[in-house]
Amino acid sequence: MRIDLDAVRVVRDSWSVSATGTFTEGIHLISGDVGSGKTTLARVIAGLSPPTSGAIRREDITHPMISFQFPEHHVTGSTVSEECSSWGLDPTVILKQASLQEKAGLSPLRLSRGELKRLHLACVLSQEYDLLVLDEPFSSLDCKEKARACTTISGRARGITIIFTHEQSQFPRVDMLWEIVDGSLHCRGNLPDALRTWEHAPEIVRALIRRGKEPANLTRQDIREAACRT
Amino acid sequence: MQDIRLRIAAALVLTLSAFFSLAGAALAFLWWIAWSGKVSEIMRMRMILPVAGMLAFFSAVLSLTGGDGVSYFLRMMVIVLVGSWVYAEQKSGEFLHLGVWLLGNRIGFELGMLADMAMQTLHLMVRDFETIRVAQALKGTGTAGKMLVPAGLVLVTGALSRAEHTAELMAVRGYRCGGSLCPRFLTTRGDIFRCMTALCILIITVIPVSEFFILYR
Repeated sequence: MRIDLDAVRVVRDSWSVSATGTFTEGIHLISGDVGSGKTTLARVIAGLSPPTSGAIRREDITHPMISFQFPEHHVTGSTVSEECSSWGLDPTVILKQASLQEKAGLSPLRLSRGELKRLHLACVLSQEYDLLVLDEPFSSLDCKEKARACTTISGRARGITIIFTHEQSQFPRVDMLWEIVDGSLHCRGNLPDALRTWEHAPEIVRALIRRGKEPANLTRQDIREAACRT
Repeated sequence: MQDIRLRIAAALVLTLSAFFSLAGAALAFLWWIAWSGKVSEIMRMRMILPVAGMLAFFSAVLSLTGGDGVSYFLRMMVIVLVGSWVYAEQKSGEFLHLGVWLLGNRIGFELGMLADMAMQTLHLMVRDFETIRVAQALKGTGTAGKMLVPAGLVLVTGALSRAEHTAELMAVRGYRCGGSLCPRFLTTRGDIFRCMTALCILIITVIPVSEFFILYR
């Protein structure tokens, strides 16, 4: 399973984003500022929008999925319970995972944005995909839910998972780090080496590196372990 | 067309021409081909095909019940194309200028702002519909018919929620009624010529030309 981006470029008026690189099995984190082109690139990688120029090659990817930033775009069920079933999942299990048992009979559109995101992520992350593109998966979530989502994402064993985010506080376990800088995608490499050249690194990671306490990865546990290291 | 006043006027007379007769519809269609300028962009609009399908259905019903379904279909399709051209040409803020120019800084401002906000919502709904369509296809929801109800619910709920938030925000910022705006329009000779051509089409359609020649003899 792999995706090759060969001089891919998307141009809109005077704005553009370009990308070259290969995504193999594992968890890839792509960070970038708001408006840098994360969603555009996510759509292109998922095969939903064609690039203006360049080519994308997908090998052995037959079951892709993209999770859009706004969870309401995925809603098809008229109740929260039906929404779980529409993903082919057992509502009892998903509602327990998302702590939404008491709202099973409500319309998904009556949930708060955070609750709906929680429900949506519980549904998406319960399934296996060859390619899973997550566009801002942590938006609208509180710290506790971000941590829960990170734990679930970290546990993904197969397929290519690509996370597009500008999140700065919580991350899952990451295999490969990328970032969009000045309209172009840069591969920073595997962790922990990639952390040294990561321009969008959170302040705590920068501080730890300055003190010579480089974390092994980006999970809370890794950060805590590095901070406590003597 | 740069000037929204002339664009709306042209669209109005072309719509009337197409509505009155098949000849008027044919002339309006020729006008649309010659002057709309965004034919390819308009034809790419995803809504054209479903609307054409709906019109074809009603035309078939009309034909089966003894009416002239073909004429109805052709005339309505021209009206849809003219409407699509107006939609494709529309720029943000234009209706506000038009409203103030027509009805002043109180009622005109209100109506113009409402029209602009409605257009903005329509643009957002079109964009959201595209995303919903993709999301549902990936989810494997099934046929297009099955996806329409949930997609419609999401779009309407989202539009109402946005409208409520906008209203609250405007109230918080002190908006009560009307405003102050000096309307500006960019009018070119080409725009005037195109508008006059559209008007000629209406005149030709409405005035029975053959009778005019009989009188002349």
